[in-house]
Amino acid sequence: MAVEAALAAGASYADARVVLHRDQSVSTKNGRVENVFDVDSEGIGVRVLVGGAWGFACDRRLSDEGARAAAARATGFARAAAGRHQRALAPVEARNGIYQTPLERDPFSVSLSEKVEHCLRAEKALAHPDVKVTQAFVRAQREHKFLVSSEGSDIEQELVECGGGIDALASRDGLFQVRSYPSAHGGWSSQAGWEYVEGLGLEREAPRVGEQAAALLQADPCPAAVTTIVVDAEQVALQVHESVGHPIELDRVYGTEASYAGTSFLKPDDLDSLRYGSEHMNVTADSTTPGGLGTFAFDDEGVAADREPIVAEGVLRGFLTSRETAARIGAGRGGSMRADGWSRMPLVRMSNLHLEPGEGSVEELIGGVDDGVYLQTNKSWSIDDKRLNFQFGTQIAWEIKGGKLGRMLRDATYTGITPVFWGSLDAVAGRSEWRLSGLTNCGKGQPGQSAHVSHGASPARFTGVQIGVRA
Amino acid sequence: MTRALEIGASALEAAAGDEAEAIVVAERSGLARFAASEVHQPTLIENVVVTLRVAQDGKTGLASTNRIEPDGLRDLAARAAAAADSAPRDEDFPGLGTPEPLPEVTGCDDDTAELGPDDQARLAASAIAAATSYPIYGYFTSGVTDFAVASSTGVAASQLLTDATALVIAAADGASGYADRTSWAAGRVDPADVAREAEEKAARTAGARTIDAGRYRAVLEPYAFGELLQYFAYVSFGAQGLLEERSYLCGRIGKRVFDERVSIADDALDPRGLPKAFDFEGMPKQRVALVEEGIAREVVWDRQTAARAADSAVTTGHAPPPSLREYGPLPFALSVGPGEAASADDLVELVGDGIYVTRLHYLSIVDPRQGVITGMTRDGTFRIRDGRVAEPLVNLRFTVSVPELLAEVPGLTREPKLVNQSDFYGERFPYGVLTPAIATTDFNVSGVGSAPGI
Repeated sequence: MAVEAALAAGASYADARVVLHRDQSVSTKNGRVENVFDVDSEGIGVRVLVGGAWGFACDRRLSDEGARAAAARATGFARAAAGRHQRALAPVEARNGIYQTPLERDPFSVSLSEKVEHCLRAEKALAHPDVKVTQAFVRAQREHKFLVSSEGSDIEQELVECGGGIDALASRDGLFQVRSYPSAHGGWSSQAGWEYVEGLGLEREAPRVGEQAAALLQADPCPAAVTTIVVDAEQVALQVHESVGHPIELDRVYGTEASYAGTSFLKPDDLDSLRYGSEHMNVTADSTTPGGLGTFAFDDEGVAADREPIVAEGVLRGFLTSRETAARIGAGRGGSMRADGWSRMPLVRMSNLHLEPGEGSVEELIGGVDDGVYLQTNKSWSIDDKRLNFQFGTQIAWEIKGGKLGRMLRDATYTGITPVFWGSLDAVAGRSEWRLSGLTNCGKGQPGQSAHVSHGASPARFTGVQIGVRA
Repeated sequence: MTRALEIGASALEAAAGDEAEAIVVAERSGLARFAASEVHQPTLIENVVVTLRVAQDGKTGLASTNRIEPDGLRDLAARAAAAADSAPRDEDFPGLGTPEPLPEVTGCDDDTAELGPDDQARLAASAIAAATSYPIYGYFTSGVTDFAVASSTGVAASQLLTDATALVIAAADGASGYADRTSWAAGRVDPADVAREAEEKAARTAGARTIDAGRYRAVLEPYAFGELLQYFAYVSFGAQGLLEERSYLCGRIGKRVFDERVSIADDALDPRGLPKAFDFEGMPKQRVALVEEGIAREVVWDRQTAARAADSAVTTGHAPPPSLREYGPLPFALSVGPGEAASADDLVELVGDGIYVTRLHYLSIVDPRQGVITGMTRDGTFRIRDGRVAEPLVNLRFTVSVPELLAEVPGLTREPKLVNQSDFYGERFPYGVLTPAIATTDFNVSGVGSAPGI
């Protein structure tokens, strides 16, 4: 209906996405329920090309009237848009398909009471005299979406994800420290059933998390130095996200995200020539990864999921593309377009982006360091608009002396320049250390859109890195 | 009665709990986003979101929907009741609020409310047409939000809010400049003027040089200081940060924290900002003096945090949107008291030798308790020499303690500027910081980045 209406109104291309979204979150803090929130939202988003100009409009009404209204407003907005407007789209095979996240136990079949109990049990196990705030949270999301395009795509997908995490906030004598598990900023999530949340072992890990938060109050601050660092898998995942994932988004390379998230230090002709990092650096974009938050059968332009090399032995081999940017660069086919629900235009987004594993264990990485630090769990993160100059802080660190972990350090930070830093990568731990981190807070676009993405990574070692940045 | 309040009343009728509260946000907006002087992502949004909070025997649950027909609201009520039923009793739950007189505020402009897609596209085009030297990147947006809070305890608050923002980066390889303008009345937002300001700034950034890391005196334009202060405020000016001992103000209320030239309030009633009469509990907005002449005075509260405080705290009308409840009450209308300088150039003269910062990028809180924030400068960083703005600089990484940055403030400008802080995630809730430009004797440059531009 919407696509037909858009074509009748003069669009040369149109697609319509209907999305039914459900989100459930439970959080507890200091032994009481902080929030039990059950969200649903549904609507239709219509994207059109008119005279080479994009237009997008949405309507919450899933009715003929809503579909026609969105189509009419999208075509009208495109017609009014200022610019030169010459756009080509990489070809896509029209596909009909249905996809569902494989899962054992639907997280929406788990009662809210069970979720509350799960949080309260984990939180109780965080207790420590110096821990002033304990908190636990679990979440579940279902996105049932339908895509129809004027080129014949007709796709239905139901993506289900869930996750959780715990935090311990300790303070004493004006010092404040935090420890989280399995990561900060919302824990980890996965496209999976409730079995994933149970497998996180929040209650099992909580005593260690609480004790470490308290111990950080006694720890020495991380010194300033240029040294070797070993970074845990969770922080490597964020490093991949910020300093590889965003720079390889081809819309950023072409400047279309300049007014918000920024651009990229990469140029289109860097493909197959730019040395991104050392020979140990192998990065893959994979929208087929089981459990990945960016896993699907088709992206929001109807392009089939795939696994593609991005950096191979340190050399840039691919970008993340839309059909439009793939046509513009003359390589690729799209496949990275995702929208935040029904009320936003699809943008080039990471799906699942992994640092491929190397060999050995994290103990072996540490064992190869005479003098350095081991950094664990992100605490702060910042990177410039071209994705070159970054600074990260971690919740906890340990000194490494003679290949062994020494004293605990607090307030650790490290900073660098993206290709220099990745050029200093001298080892990545093996497959047995590889973890899939699921992040739910990746921001981009105007109006803002939040994406859920996953990154697989093993602990990694970097040399000659500046640590201990102070205010 | 506004439409949002009618929808809220219908949601309350559907609710079956002991007490219920409905928050309704109805949005109609358009955003014409452009890149390389071409509109490339134009987005029109129409949506209504109803959030229902049900309280049963001290147990509360929240649910929301955009299905506002009777079936949708019945389902909403059932889900909210199920959420409440799942929770143990919260002994600190203060119950829902009762009606209080609401302040009279401005904040709705009929002409802005009537802007449609053609107008939004035209206003974006006017920015593009005004930029003759550089391609520009940014957007024009306007919207109208029908906001209401209704409760079974008699609260029935509603307000129509309008907003308009033009944001422009003028940029080429090695040069970029930034400007934005925001208001509740689109007539006060001239996109062409914004584009010209960004272009003028960009033209002065070509040939940027690097400097050594270190501590510099500095002038921060309102764009830069507004964002830095908003980040500091997220933790340090909210009651939850205070109760959880994360705030810099812990143990410092009543003590000197900044230079005596610095006074900061949260004032949603100020017509120069984006005025709001009530918060997301339907409680009246109050002006809260956070810092007066350098002395820490107060933080902002909602009913929940006030109930959990050991002392006699009461709400100041700062309950956050439902999606941000985990952060507690937040100051979304920061207002910095003015100084005496006639212009930023006068501040540059006061600084003498240092750096000039137009805008910041990608801030992150490194240490909330110490007020340490890191980020980058962007789109217009310059050296100050001999009391004048001198050569352009590359983007700089800074890692600053906000209290140290504000410990010695040589001056602020006389006229504050409303700086947009909304990135328009989720439901539309425009907010900004009203601030003058500010000079500091201590801005810590912890690293250098690349040249400006794209």
